[in-house]
Amino acid sequence: MTDASHNPAELPIKVAARDVTVSYSGKQALHNVSIDIPDRSVTAFIGPSGCGKSTFLRCLNRMNDTIEGAKVGGSLTIDGREINDKSIDPVVLRASVGMVFQKPNPFPKSIYDNVAYGPRIHGLALSRPELDEIVENALRKAGLWDEVSDRLAHPGTSLSGGQQQRLVIARAIAVNPEVILMDEPCSALDPIATARIEELIDELRENYCIIIVTHSMQQAARVSQQTAFFHMGNLVEYGPTEDIFTNPRDSRTQDYITGRFG
Amino acid sequence: MTDTPDISPIRSAVSKNLGARYRAELRFRAAGLAAVAAAVGILVILLASIISGGLPAFTVNQLELTVELDRELIDPNGDGSEESLRRGGYSRALQDAIRAEFPEVQARRDLRNLFSLYTALNATRLMDDVLENPDLIGSRYDFTMPLADDLDLYLKGLLVEDRTLDTGGVLSLAVEGDEVAISSTETDFRELAAELARVLRARATVLEVQADTLAGLAEGLSGTEAEDLLYDADLNRRRAADIRATLEADAGSLTLDASLPSVIVEVEGRAVALTSLGRNGAAATGRFLIGSEPLAAAADWTLYVIDTPAERRRVSDQLIVWTRALQERGAIRASFNTYLFANADSREPELAGVKGALFGSILTMMITIIISVPIGVFTALYLEEYAPKNRFTALIEVNINNLAAVPSIVFGLLGLAVFINAFGLPRSAPLVGGLVLSLMTLPTVIIATRAALKAVPQSIRQAALAVGASRTQTVFHHVLPLAAPGILTGAIIGLAQAMGETAPLLMIGMVAFIADAPTLGLEGFTEPATVMPVQIFLWSDGAERAWEYRSAAAILVLLALMIGFNALAIYLRRRFERRW
Amino acid sequence: MSIIAIVALAIIVMLAGGFYVGRSRAIAAVSGATASLHSLPNYHGYHVAIWTGLPAFLLLAVYGMFGPTLVDRITAAELRRDAIVLTSSFESELASDPEILALEEALTLLRARADAISDSMAELRSASGSDRDPQRLEALAVEQTDLVNQIATTEDARLARRDVLRDRVSAEAAASGAEVRALAGFELVHAPRERRQLFLSDVRRIATDGLASRASDELDAAAAVMAHHDLRIRYLFAGLALALAVGGLVRTRGQIAGPFRARNHVEGLVTAMLFLSSVIAIMTTIGIVFSLLFESIRFFSTVPLTEFLFGLQWSPQIALRADQVGQSGAFGAVPLFAGTAMITLIAMVVAVPIGLLSAIYLSEYAGPRFRLTAKPILEILAGIPTVVYGFFALLTVGPAIRSFFAMIGIDDVVTQSALSAGLVMGVMIIPFISSLSDDVINSVPQSLRDGSYAMGATKSETIGRVIIPAALPGIVGAILLAVSRAVGETMIVVMAAGQGANLTANPLESVTTITVQIVMLLTGDQEFDSPKTLSAFALGLVLFVITLLMNVLALRVVQRYREKYD
Repeated sequence: MTDASHNPAELPIKVAARDVTVSYSGKQALHNVSIDIPDRSVTAFIGPSGCGKSTFLRCLNRMNDTIEGAKVGGSLTIDGREINDKSIDPVVLRASVGMVFQKPNPFPKSIYDNVAYGPRIHGLALSRPELDEIVENALRKAGLWDEVSDRLAHPGTSLSGGQQQRLVIARAIAVNPEVILMDEPCSALDPIATARIEELIDELRENYCIIIVTHSMQQAARVSQQTAFFHMGNLVEYGPTEDIFTNPRDSRTQDYITGRFG
Repeated sequence: MTDTPDISPIRSAVSKNLGARYRAELRFRAAGLAAVAAAVGILVILLASIISGGLPAFTVNQLELTVELDRELIDPNGDGSEESLRRGGYSRALQDAIRAEFPEVQARRDLRNLFSLYTALNATRLMDDVLENPDLIGSRYDFTMPLADDLDLYLKGLLVEDRTLDTGGVLSLAVEGDEVAISSTETDFRELAAELARVLRARATVLEVQADTLAGLAEGLSGTEAEDLLYDADLNRRRAADIRATLEADAGSLTLDASLPSVIVEVEGRAVALTSLGRNGAAATGRFLIGSEPLAAAADWTLYVIDTPAERRRVSDQLIVWTRALQERGAIRASFNTYLFANADSREPELAGVKGALFGSILTMMITIIISVPIGVFTALYLEEYAPKNRFTALIEVNINNLAAVPSIVFGLLGLAVFINAFGLPRSAPLVGGLVLSLMTLPTVIIATRAALKAVPQSIRQAALAVGASRTQTVFHHVLPLAAPGILTGAIIGLAQAMGETAPLLMIGMVAFIADAPTLGLEGFTEPATVMPVQIFLWSDGAERAWEYRSAAAILVLLALMIGFNALAIYLRRRFERRW
Repeated sequence: MSIIAIVALAIIVMLAGGFYVGRSRAIAAVSGATASLHSLPNYHGYHVAIWTGLPAFLLLAVYGMFGPTLVDRITAAELRRDAIVLTSSFESELASDPEILALEEALTLLRARADAISDSMAELRSASGSDRDPQRLEALAVEQTDLVNQIATTEDARLARRDVLRDRVSAEAAASGAEVRALAGFELVHAPRERRQLFLSDVRRIATDGLASRASDELDAAAAVMAHHDLRIRYLFAGLALALAVGGLVRTRGQIAGPFRARNHVEGLVTAMLFLSSVIAIMTTIGIVFSLLFESIRFFSTVPLTEFLFGLQWSPQIALRADQVGQSGAFGAVPLFAGTAMITLIAMVVAVPIGLLSAIYLSEYAGPRFRLTAKPILEILAGIPTVVYGFFALLTVGPAIRSFFAMIGIDDVVTQSALSAGLVMGVMIIPFISSLSDDVINSVPQSLRDGSYAMGATKSETIGRVIIPAALPGIVGAILLAVSRAVGETMIVVMAAGQGANLTANPLESVTTITVQIVMLLTGDQEFDSPKTLSAFALGLVLFVITLLMNVLALRVVQRYREKYD
């Protein structure tokens, strides 16, 4: 699935991390992670449970701020700007860094209101037609428009699991973010819905920097251009997906990929 | 947000109205904090008002008199029998004792006034002392009794506004008929006279303003209504003019009446209430409240001012002065209020205590414990451990949930209709009160017990069943002991709730005035009684102000009991808490 | 006490002995080879002990509850029998006394006229078209009131005369040396209801060596009778209990044998006992429903339901003749419903914002330390007895409101007003709303919060746009439960809301509520059959139905809500 024309090395760097450490109430969960993630491509984080990949993902939109006792160290930049800086407001940051969670979590509102949530709170649309347009665009991009255009007023929770997850993706892209974080977005879905989401991720790659945490190595191989392997809070290996899967340099990576542990 | 120009359109769009959003956030957060603060603040006000109201009632000012227990008076039949002693003239003995303190009081009206320093019910207490110890007859007995409720409040500073003024001159008193001419070598009365003049001027101004308002109102009306208003306005104007005229007159003196503060000269055991103040500030006239002898010269004297005018208080200058004199002589002593705990209810606030209500509460709670705890625990055991999942079980569950929310007064109606009218159980009895409260507490106990049983892990039951124990053995040998602390905590909380309950007990007649504490025995359960919260309700309704303090004190006793119960529950929970 | 206590002790001894006997006999029955017993020896012991102790103690409990009442009834019956001669002479005196006869005749006449008037009033009321005559209706109403007053005075006069005659008969009997017991019976029979109760309780006190509120020869004589019966009943119950215990012991002892399934018997008994306990909850509900329904139906046979539910005037204290009450129009409960609604509304205006906002603050904003201190403090508010709130409303809040309004120039504000009762009730409800909403808010899944924060929403936006809408059904349920509690709350309103049955929208006036009227109608002396008393049960029924409906609804809503997120 990797496209030769999109050679990761040629793409500009969107996210850069240097010596990022995270600890929860004194317990260190992430050790000195340094990584450069290119724009307009999909980067996959893989690794066994508790390896720190989700923790690192949550650093990128400062969701760790909402957890009591969490401490983040090191430097993290998006477009060269430090995001842990005091001058960066988490609200602004999160508006530009969308996130999709493991379990689809549509709000208990209508499909329309779910997608319009971001534009509304941020005051992005000045009029109702403008908002309608944003909602339609987001739903189209998420490939959901044809399925729900006739029932926008239905509650978001009435959709199927796969549709809910695409609704959540639509909700995230409605504010037109720069980076989209996905935390195991398919783990609660059946294979057909998963395939649909993977297709969607591939389409979105054209416009966004996408970072996806996944348990499934096949999924990482299918959708990503770069893969990073985490183990016990350390970034073990990072490189083009093909290299990681065909020619891992670290023995731990090899063991994990060949299924010796994980 | 930052100095560098932002390239991302979404970031700049979001940053634009960020300030307003954060202000809204701050407002919301402040509102939340204000709500918590309001709730806590109200609690503080509530507790403060009850504590400040209740504390004064824990002390009492007692009158200590030496009573001559004359044999002929106390034992009219002369045979020393109980019957004879019960007919003794104890009131008379008390009256004689207080008259000995103020021998100059002779007129009947004054005497009646004097005897209101204490309540007549104290004669019965004196009789009880004598019956208990007949050797007292013929002796001089130091009898202690509480001062009348209003005077007790006066001494605690809760009844009137008062102050004592120092004086500089040498005082002389001259008796002229009923009047006493008072003169000082200094202008000791001048400031007081000026102050009273200001009060009178202000009063005149108020009258004039009222008159103007009335006249204004009258303009919009016609006929008799307008006439009435104008008449009133005129009346006010004339009264104002009168006041001003007296004030203007140079030679005139200020007359002190019941609408003005009382001023009392206290000197060498005498007390003189001023009736008028001279303008020069050195002379005044008055009448004797205590004593009757003139005085040539005295340097050591004080002016005692009661700022609350006589017409706005329940006790006269005379009673206050007597009380002050008795206190001066050491015949009044403040002490811890044992009456509050040793006595049952009484018609007189100074003799009323919580003993009867406390005993009633104990008896009622005993019935409640005996009934609600076992039945509640058994029901919970049945529902959690035995009940098959069928319609009937579901019905019982729904039922318990609804019973928990039935207003308590409805349980009172049930008690009245079923226990009293259908079963013929006695009214006002702790037995019925306990039954009603049991039914009311039952849902609480059941719900708490079920929660405790649910908290026992299933693995323990399975382990017991696996070694061949029957269900009953599993439940009674393994589950119940593990759930016991939780059950106990729930039961205590339910009982504390029942102890503070009032409304259902009103329905079954536990509101009667009961002057004797019920016996703490089997008979006590069917004797008329009342309980703490009902006692508070009854007292708070009392006409005298002392009841207010009495009921606040009773509330403190009740709250102390409930805090004790809850502390016990918390202690048990901490002590035996187990986490799985 | 004594004999009952001795028997109770004896039964306890027998119970312990029974346990031991059962155990040892079971072991003996299989000559020590306990493995061949169906049940463990202990179960044989329990079986014997239960049948020895349980029936006997149940009997003693019945004695404890109904014994004194039974003795009272028997004593009263005997005294009444003794007083038959006196009673009949009193009755003949009554039948021949000219004054009584004249008064009774006057009463009959007055009542006939009252009936006629109420009939024609009813006719006029239901009349339509040209038959309508409001003026005449007015006149009749005036006349009716007048008649009612006349009836009341006549009735009083008759009763007074009756008392005079009674005292005369009793004095004459005493002078002619009648038996004291007969006099006591006479006093008891012809005393008013509440005096009868007092008489009996005095007698009981004397009989048990206590001090009575007064002493008289009659009381002493009656006490002797009562003491006699008391002793007899005691011995009867004690003997029966003893017989039951012995019988149970002997019977179960005979059953002991190797294959006897003692454990199953004991466990069956235990299960039955547990089941019976759980039935008590149902019995309570049935008891409530039936006692309320039964008395209410009697009430509605005199006062029409529509009049009770829609009538605008409430003044049950007016002493009318029983069969006339229906037409008096004094049982219109609308002012009570309005008062209840107003106080509930005020309480909710206080409690909902404060309770909800504190719950939100404590669960979403506050740090763990703050939460751990503030929550128990709020819980204290819930633990304070309502009578304390009533006291606070009456003596602190009421006067404060009055002086506040006096300060801004409104002088005629009463201390006991709907406002002070409502405010204080609101305070009482705060912890109720806050703890219920706290539960509800905490059960909103964390994933929704994360989703909202990840979109860049602030905390208040997340709360206002996601959490509250998600928790709304639960919050509505909590508010409904709180309303039902406010409607049923009694002491605060009894003490602080006043008693005037005003139909007003002004919260500064005193109003009355359903619960206040129940208390007013049922405290103090009462005749159980008067519509005045019965109306309290009708009000109780209304209260029960309202709160029940709200609870069922609220529990449903909350249940649905829980299912949604579990």
